[in-house]
Amino acid sequence: MNAIYGLFADLNSARGAVAALRAEHSRLRIEPQAIVIMSSEPLEEVGFGWKEQRTVMPWLAPLGGLLGGAGGYALAAFTQRTYPLPTGGMPIVAMWPTGIIMYELTMLGAILTTIVTFLVSAGLPNYRTRLYDPEVTNGKILVGISDPDPDCRAELEQRLYREGAEQVKEYSNK
Amino acid sequence: MAHRWGMVIDLDRCTGCEACVAACHAENNIATVGDAEAARGRAMHWIHVERYWDGEFPNVRVGFRPIPCQQCDAAPCEPVCPTYASYHNADGLNAQVYNRCIGTRYCANACPYTVRFFNWFNPVWDKPLNLQFNPDVSVREVGVMEKCTFCIQRIKAAEIKAEMEKREMKDGEFSPACVQTCPAGAMVFGDLDDPASMISRFSNSVRGTKLLSEVGAFPKVTYLERESSHGNE
Amino acid sequence: MATNSAAQANVIDLKSDQIRQDLLRPVFHTSRRYYALVFVLIALGLPGVFAYLYQISNGMGVAGITRPVFWGFYITNFVFWIGISHAGTLISAILRLVNATWRRPVTRCAEAITVFALAIGAQYPIIHLGRSWLFFWLIPYPSERGIWPNFRSPLLWDFFAISTYITGSLIFLLLPIIPDWAMVRDRATGLRKRIYAILSLGWRGTPREWHRLEVAMRVMAVVIIPVAVSVHTIVSWDFAMAPVPMWHSTVFGPYFVAGAIFSGIAALIIAMALIRKFLHLEDYLKPIHFDNLGKLLLLFSLLWLYFIFSERLTVWYGNQTSEMAAFWSIQRGPFAVPFWTMVFCNFLIPFPILAIKKLRTITGTVIASSTIVVGMWLERFLIVVPPLEHKYLPYDWGNYHPTWVEIAITAGTLMGMILFYVLFVKFVPIISIWELKGGKRTEPVADQAHASVSSAAMRLDSTLPSGNG
Repeated sequence: MNAIYGLFADLNSARGAVAALRAEHSRLRIEPQAIVIMSSEPLEEVGFGWKEQRTVMPWLAPLGGLLGGAGGYALAAFTQRTYPLPTGGMPIVAMWPTGIIMYELTMLGAILTTIVTFLVSAGLPNYRTRLYDPEVTNGKILVGISDPDPDCRAELEQRLYREGAEQVKEYSNK
Repeated sequence: MAHRWGMVIDLDRCTGCEACVAACHAENNIATVGDAEAARGRAMHWIHVERYWDGEFPNVRVGFRPIPCQQCDAAPCEPVCPTYASYHNADGLNAQVYNRCIGTRYCANACPYTVRFFNWFNPVWDKPLNLQFNPDVSVREVGVMEKCTFCIQRIKAAEIKAEMEKREMKDGEFSPACVQTCPAGAMVFGDLDDPASMISRFSNSVRGTKLLSEVGAFPKVTYLERESSHGNE
Repeated sequence: MATNSAAQANVIDLKSDQIRQDLLRPVFHTSRRYYALVFVLIALGLPGVFAYLYQISNGMGVAGITRPVFWGFYITNFVFWIGISHAGTLISAILRLVNATWRRPVTRCAEAITVFALAIGAQYPIIHLGRSWLFFWLIPYPSERGIWPNFRSPLLWDFFAISTYITGSLIFLLLPIIPDWAMVRDRATGLRKRIYAILSLGWRGTPREWHRLEVAMRVMAVVIIPVAVSVHTIVSWDFAMAPVPMWHSTVFGPYFVAGAIFSGIAALIIAMALIRKFLHLEDYLKPIHFDNLGKLLLLFSLLWLYFIFSERLTVWYGNQTSEMAAFWSIQRGPFAVPFWTMVFCNFLIPFPILAIKKLRTITGTVIASSTIVVGMWLERFLIVVPPLEHKYLPYDWGNYHPTWVEIAITAGTLMGMILFYVLFVKFVPIISIWELKGGKRTEPVADQAHASVSSAAMRLDSTLPSGNG
């Protein structure tokens, strides 16, 4: 894949660039998903009009918790019934201690589910060579188009400069 | 037939001679720990005789109380063991499984009578005691908890003998080493579930009390004394 | 569009470069002093390792524990370190949830303390075992012995609770480090670059990655708080479940959790002060942070006083013979010196320092925290040992005298904790760069953003680095 992108020093110009690219997407033949943004801080709050930020993650965690809790009950009840060893006059499957085990495994289930869904939904780890510029971690915001139409390339470059890009670079991974 | 082994100790008869302590050491392969360790409180007397003084000189009275494992029905030492090394067996005994013990020592803390003993080092026997092992009892290694078992090896031997002879066990047919040895005849052992046994009769005596009954562990050792001169805690 | 002044404020100003430089400096530059420190810590910690090996080869008898005091320094240290680990959760998770912006430079310091204190604390249930090498029998797995662990035992609850907590804290710590590791990756060269490239999981900083990260952090913050509360409650139940006089108390759960957070904040303040001094982060860890943490510490000092008063009052008033022996031995008997030292260290000294604003400076809070850390260790000791020395039957009362083995292992684990932290500071930026810069932006946010965010963005003076420390 190849891409053309600009590095912006501040938030406003980056925002302006994204807005401009979106506004002219039909003329410059840009797919909406082709607009690529990278930054060294989360910019969600400052609004790029990004609508895709919906995720089912917060609902999966309680689900993982429920599974964990059920697993905890299964572990305690099954193992204690298989090899019943009475202690201290308590029942073989005592609910108070079993409840504690269930609680801890519920929380563990939620935690593990969260980390797994995070990695999966963020697409990490991803070690393939992809579009990236180390200037991003120098504080620049990268706004670019992946796989731009070759005819519009020059105009895209001009547009990015007009919106205030400090540099405009091309990326190709072949 | 399941049994419920219990013990009765008559404090009016106990002279404090500690023959029971010696017999227990011999029967159960318990090592002595030496002066220094004993001074640090690490002696391993599965049954130990506690001595309490009452009154001021010259009107002093001394009372002796041999305390073996009380084999509690609701033993606090059992649920706290993470590896089931301490559990309640079908005969109502609090069984200690040495192989499962990893030495957390929680059971010893939980026991209100502190009748559990820990192997702080690998046991060593001074000569010639090293030739006197009881082959029916294992030797415990360092890091393992141990305690009075009501001589479970003798219980098992009597069970097997009775089964081979196709009969029930007779009351008084066998007894733990301490009961067998007591010269004052202060100890009785038997099956609490057998209404005809000696121990059932003695356990219901008006002189009978249980030690630390308020803790709620339901010990199966009953102490007989005419007056509670040293007070029941 | 934006006005001139707003445009200026919108510029991610050059000071960001300064931030990155300051916070990445410890990762890229190692002074001779650092190597010397690591060497000293290892040298002071090694006797502890040898003491432990000595203990394994000779037997637990080389320690001072005996009948009836079957638990001593090791369990004291266990509870102490697990207690210290509650710092991170409170600061990080709770302050995240209530959107307290002053937390930003502090969260990673706190989260690191949690993870390492847990790592150290979790050693002790292994160290104190009579047969240490069999510790894995606590893990529920289908073993060839045909037996599972006993879930009715509080020690099993400990195992589950601490495992869950360490997993959760590790994730809570590592998630926000990923973007900072990406920053290190982009500046590193050679082998270091490759290692950080792997560690940062190929992070690029797309909006999707950021969004998922923030959602994950929010979920973790909500989940980790009940875990933390349950962990120290369950540790307290190691004592409360046993019928030992002065252990069998219903107040232990909340009492321990409050004490844990108390000691955790104190440890955090000390760690922050040391980092501030030795890494020259005076512009980032400002007096306001110590002031705010000091106020929290004051609150917990009062809470601690409340709990210890309740506990001792009920015992004294109940006047149960078996409990009073332990009670008086603490208050007037052989344990009076540690007891009153603890009261001084946990309340009488910190309270005026933390309550009077003029005294609640960095130095003041560090002094208060140091006494509190000592006082909390004494508190754990006084919970474990005196009740065991005075159980129900006076004939069985005994004494506990720690030996060099226990002292060496205690010192060794303390050095281990400091060493972990010192190594951490070398490999990870100790202040979260992206969170700090994210909080710096003071622009009036445009239409699509939430109003709450803009007001939070305004209240940022405390996180702005400035010339005066």
